[in-house]
Amino acid sequence: MWVDLAITLVKILFIIGITVGFFAPILTWVERKQSAIMQDRIGANRADILGFTAIGLFHCIADAVKMFTKEDFIPDGANKILHTLSPIIAVVPAILTFAVVPFGGQYTIFDKEVNLVISDLDVGLLFVFAIASLATYGYVIAGWSSNNNWSLLGSMRTASQMISYEVTMGLTIVGVLMVYGSMKLTTIGAIQEDFFRWGLFLQPLGFFMFLAASIAENKRIPFDNPEAESEIVAGYFTEYSGLKFGMFFMSEFIEMVTIGAIMTILFFGAWHIPFLTTTTLLGWFDFLGATGSNILVMLIQVGVFFSKVVFFIWLQMTIRWTLPRFRYDQIMKLGWKILLPLSLANILVTGIVILVLN
Amino acid sequence: MAYYVNRNIKMTWWEKIYLPEIIKGMAITSRHFFMNLFGFVPFLLGTKKERPIMTVYYPEEQVQYPIAYRGRPVLAQNEDGQPACVACGLCEIACPAYCIHIEPGENSGKQNQYERWPDVFNIDYAICIFCGNCEEACPEEAIFMSDDCEISMLDRKKMLYTKEQLLTPVAELQKRIEFTRNMYAKWNY
Repeated sequence: MWVDLAITLVKILFIIGITVGFFAPILTWVERKQSAIMQDRIGANRADILGFTAIGLFHCIADAVKMFTKEDFIPDGANKILHTLSPIIAVVPAILTFAVVPFGGQYTIFDKEVNLVISDLDVGLLFVFAIASLATYGYVIAGWSSNNNWSLLGSMRTASQMISYEVTMGLTIVGVLMVYGSMKLTTIGAIQEDFFRWGLFLQPLGFFMFLAASIAENKRIPFDNPEAESEIVAGYFTEYSGLKFGMFFMSEFIEMVTIGAIMTILFFGAWHIPFLTTTTLLGWFDFLGATGSNILVMLIQVGVFFSKVVFFIWLQMTIRWTLPRFRYDQIMKLGWKILLPLSLANILVTGIVILVLN
Repeated sequence: MAYYVNRNIKMTWWEKIYLPEIIKGMAITSRHFFMNLFGFVPFLLGTKKERPIMTVYYPEEQVQYPIAYRGRPVLAQNEDGQPACVACGLCEIACPAYCIHIEPGENSGKQNQYERWPDVFNIDYAICIFCGNCEEACPEEAIFMSDDCEISMLDRKKMLYTKEQLLTPVAELQKRIEFTRNMYAKWNY
């Protein structure tokens, strides 16, 4: 029992470490550097420690120091409690969704079944969406409690956009669930051991719709109307500074990782290498003994999973620095008139195909 | 009723799907991304002299400014170590910002000396607007705009340059002197 607890604790620490400790800071640098390189610029490379710049990697540290030491300002007439609470409401769900996200398969290490997911819920996918939609409250309350017109406009836009695209997202997921017949993320991942049963091939339309809807959920360009710098200052976090702003910032980047992880599990073969099943890999490394080969395969598959996540983060960054922002009515039109009927049609076609094949 | 701008854009069916056009755009940006990302490799290995990105790393690298560039005005120093200035005061008058201050000095009576020279010649760079009017007004080829623009300081008082600080050997200014001769055609009056 203590061993189980220790394993769970290690998994939790790993997830927190890799999202909050690694991805969130590094992505602030990646975003600047990637945008610079895409636009034929150099990008952040000036922060240095003892004259050593490391291609600008120290900007993450400089950012963190800046956010910690900045004045924490609460505007006049703002609701102090809610103003302080809303960044927390925004950032906690972003980290919490990782509770059910598997980052590897099942391995036998020292005769102990290790399942690389913190909590293997039967309704894992529903849990992800339930928790992710909680973050909306954070953004809406942030805008309302700031006592600022721009913030309120931003939070209104957030609310409408999140609700619109959650419908599409949910309906897209229905197609995936029909194909795999399970809501358990570990099961969905395990099924995709077969390369030709990757979600990308079974649900090609669903893949694109889910990508669009999830970027809209994350409120990044081209769907960044809630913060739209050129229209409403900074949207819902106009009145935030210091670490509170940093939390909104962080939640955006952690959500990017979450989206990457969910996309990987649902559509991109989870932790599997194409045409290489776990048994094949275990057979290759048989000479290391049962535990050794299991550990090695585990490391490989976790690496594969996170490289797929990194690919999706790269894809989101590229989309963000390629496309211009939608107009507000275009966002609503895309959400309700195009993506929603398409996702319904996707369910219908998937159902018919499954019925015919059976 | 919302107002719609008619932009007269007739999109084809292919463009209306939107997705192929997005992929086309992303192909362009990611092409730039990968070209610039891996274009640095031969530069870092030393096989190629030029970086794929043209940005100048400013304090470490500097570019040669064009000869028409107007940096801080300086006094031309002749071979005998004296400024060519005769303290006529034309630059002082031409200066729209009144940043030049001249106090003329008189010949002591010795032979082979200038009749007049500036005892005091101050230019306050905190006030100077780098217009080049002083250079244009000067009849003696004494004051020129150099290509030095790095004169920012933390103390305003230090930006007041005296004659000794302003003196620059003529040899360094030769190109600019020729440029001003062509430009203003001073000796063709």
